[in-house]
Amino acid sequence: MSEKFSRRDFLKLAGVGAATSAILTGCGPASRYVKREPYMQMPEYNYNGQSTYYATTCRECAAGCGLIVRTVQGRAIKTEGNAGNPLNLGKTCARGQATLHGLYNPDRVTDPQKRSSRGSGSTQVMDWDAAIQVVADALKNNKPEEIAFLMGMAPDHLFDLVSDLASATGMNAPLRFGALGMFEARATLSKAAENLFGEASLPFFDVGGAQVVFSFGANFLETWLSPVSYTRGFAGLREAKTKMRGKFVQFESRMSQTGGKADEWIPLRPGTEALVALAIGKLASEIRGGAMPRAFENVDPIDTASKSGIKLETLEHLAGMFAGSNGALAIPGGPALGQSNGLAVAEAVLALNAISDNFGKPGGVYLSPLAPNQSEYQRPASAQEMQEFVQKMADGKIKVLFVHGVNPLFELPTALGFGGASKSVSQIISFATFPDETAREADYVFPDHHGLESWGYQRVATGSAQPVLSGAQPVVSPYYNTRATVDVLITAAQLAGGSFASALPFKDEVEFLNGKVSALMGEVDGSISAPDLATFMAYFQQHGGYWKNSDERVAPKAGDALNREISAEEAEFAGEGEFFFVPFVSPTLAEAGANKPWLQELPDPTTTVMWNTWVEMNPETAHELGIENDDVVRIVSEAGELEVPVYLYPAIRPDTIAIPFGQGHTAYGRYAENRGVNPADLLGQHFNEAGDLAFAGMKVKVEKTGVKKPLSRLESIMGVYGIGLGEEH
Amino acid sequence: MVTLSDLKISEVKLGEEQTGKWGMVIDQDICTGCQACVAACAMENNITFVGEEDSGYGRSMHWIRIERFWEGEYPEVKMTANQPMLCQQCGHATCEPVCPAFATVHSQAEQLNLQVYNRCVGTRYCANNCPYQVRSFNWRDYQRPEPLPNQFNPDVTVRRMGVMEKCTFCIQRIHKAQDKAKSEGREVADGEFTTACAQACPANAITFGRVDDPESMVSQLAKRSHGVKHLEELGTLPNVTYFKGG
Repeated sequence: MSEKFSRRDFLKLAGVGAATSAILTGCGPASRYVKREPYMQMPEYNYNGQSTYYATTCRECAAGCGLIVRTVQGRAIKTEGNAGNPLNLGKTCARGQATLHGLYNPDRVTDPQKRSSRGSGSTQVMDWDAAIQVVADALKNNKPEEIAFLMGMAPDHLFDLVSDLASATGMNAPLRFGALGMFEARATLSKAAENLFGEASLPFFDVGGAQVVFSFGANFLETWLSPVSYTRGFAGLREAKTKMRGKFVQFESRMSQTGGKADEWIPLRPGTEALVALAIGKLASEIRGGAMPRAFENVDPIDTASKSGIKLETLEHLAGMFAGSNGALAIPGGPALGQSNGLAVAEAVLALNAISDNFGKPGGVYLSPLAPNQSEYQRPASAQEMQEFVQKMADGKIKVLFVHGVNPLFELPTALGFGGASKSVSQIISFATFPDETAREADYVFPDHHGLESWGYQRVATGSAQPVLSGAQPVVSPYYNTRATVDVLITAAQLAGGSFASALPFKDEVEFLNGKVSALMGEVDGSISAPDLATFMAYFQQHGGYWKNSDERVAPKAGDALNREISAEEAEFAGEGEFFFVPFVSPTLAEAGANKPWLQELPDPTTTVMWNTWVEMNPETAHELGIENDDVVRIVSEAGELEVPVYLYPAIRPDTIAIPFGQGHTAYGRYAENRGVNPADLLGQHFNEAGDLAFAGMKVKVEKTGVKKPLSRLESIMGVYGIGLGEEH
Repeated sequence: MVTLSDLKISEVKLGEEQTGKWGMVIDQDICTGCQACVAACAMENNITFVGEEDSGYGRSMHWIRIERFWEGEYPEVKMTANQPMLCQQCGHATCEPVCPAFATVHSQAEQLNLQVYNRCVGTRYCANNCPYQVRSFNWRDYQRPEPLPNQFNPDVTVRRMGVMEKCTFCIQRIHKAQDKAKSEGREVADGEFTTACAQACPANAITFGRVDDPESMVSQLAKRSHGVKHLEELGTLPNVTYFKGG
């Protein structure tokens, strides 16, 4: 401060300052009168209009759970389970809850698009008339046998429409595929049921009524077949209302979320599942007495113990547990079936049930009832059938490929070569709701509505004692310029004329649906009945579908399930490497959840990792190799390689590593893209006898990279704050 | 509508008997850790996601989380029973007396620990003092790009940066049910409504209801001999009872 600056000057200046600040605060006199909301005005204490509720069907997987969606002013706010639907009885899984993050996802396909070149991000918006003309031309200008539809496992009404179209015109019958079906080994399950019971059907395991459950790899509390229904069954097993608390034993090399709930977790050597099942069968039969069944004759428990790594005493104890119970149930599933001997595993485990003679009895094995409008069980394509299809594409026998509800470039093993084969297809038209990998490789994307904006129905394949047809209706009007694929096909078929037009003589999707559902009007013992179609359809939508009131599960004919030889061969493993490789479906993301941000932020139930992919490794093994948590390693299989951070997982065999499937997208929106890796890149082309992929039948190498990538996990902040990196911050 | 007298800070002294009003029973033996409750809670209560980096720093906003621990070493390793952990709505909550802004207050009407967002100044004392570690703080204004906000529940405040939040026992559902019952001249029936987590749970592991009504399902369950309350020895009087697994 200079000497000339007097006290008077200072006061002047200060006065100006004070005036300025007065003006500044004064510029908002209104702000003084902003009503400060007292806390009793919080929305939690007020009514904000009335809600409306609509029944529909969840499309996050193909199980067909009923939903009730709460909407306010045309916006979908919350999904709840439909308490009337016999499959899920008012309950949902995490994916069902997060389906709204799909509906209001910021990265949906908003308009019909023409892509400038395959794989490029540059697209041109079309109007729907032009889009439908493209579909009509594709139908009309190609031979029917050169047109193919590749579809997901939902929705069924679209599958029925395309099936009708195909059978009337000579087009290829639509092929259905889903990664969940592949990892569930659905083809193996139904083939084993055919071999043992003479009927290719999906078995239903009444976990809730059992006393002892032996699960060989079946991850029935996660994504397997119908997880909400099986979780209810599990609660029934545990709850001691009318019976003792049931016991649960899980056989698997890597502890799954399901295995974490087991009383006893048996980490057998991968590939020895059939052997172990048969040895337990033999020991249990000895305890029960009588003639030794043929199925168990040739197995040696002592030899089994050494091959499987399970102590003989443990085998005997388990056999005693199985034989000593009146309600013992054995379930085959998951990685146990995804091996070269998967069919033998399924048969051996299913045959165990003959010891407790539980076929068609409470707590036992049933065959799932067919849905009300179904004449025979249709399973999705096995990986081998997909391989044949890809070969057909590569040979140029497919000129036009329509894709709906499935993302083969992500879900199929890369080694199957879908990407390369698609180059031989002249025209690929995708109906994807989201910009997924396959849509990016398509010439056109004609987006279907989101499931919550759609009409339709889904047949419940398994999980309910009653036959169920879950009905879907739009709960909100379409948010974007999308159009129902059924409507697109109906209009295009009429434009194409000829047999196409006569195959689909409908005004729109609703008329088509009415025709399909009205066949149920004449049936007795249904959940709804009405004298006229309009009322019947109104009830159908109001109640979220149609189901029979009676238990129509089928008792399997298991006369000689044990009177046949079952192979006890161990599985063969492909590739060079010291580790067995177990890919498993992420319980929270499943195959299509990665673009929903709240699913990304759900901690994995076993590792608590969020937003990424990890590889699980036994801490002892890692220690020997000098690998720590969050070290990025390179996994090399015969088919490919990828780099992924390590999670030291205490419940995995020292000779096994495991990677979740669900991340590793290169497209599919901001929340999914460039996040984690896709274990499908490591899978080779090896199949079991039923045609399912031997996804758990590989050996891989692990190499250090010297890089660290801290994983976000709920359980601990170790690694994230730089712990172990030498840079605490 | 809530009146001021309902909102009086609890005058209950430590050690005095207090029954609570709303409570929960969680059966860890049947909880499968599937995260349906976590997702349902997030959707009902407008809880934001924070992304990979912030969640790695422990800033995720889960109002309910599933804890699991490991016991033993391979091959005798065991995963402990999944433990859903949420605000225990303590009768003597340790979060309450430390709040300088009276944002963390005890409601006389509902016997719940309220979080008044527009009083909260973000000292985070309450979270530091919560023995259950169930409070989460909005470290940022997390982005929910359009059209995701279409999903917001209009009954629940959307919180912003600098505000603490936690499980409310779905207080908006409590009020709706009470208002409906009042307009029909009756009491709220047991099981007439439930919280979002309990409604979603596929295993039915969560039961919610009136703990001051001895006939209610939740009271009947809580009487079972194997029920425990977490950190009861601290004198917090939690209103959530757990059945241990196994």
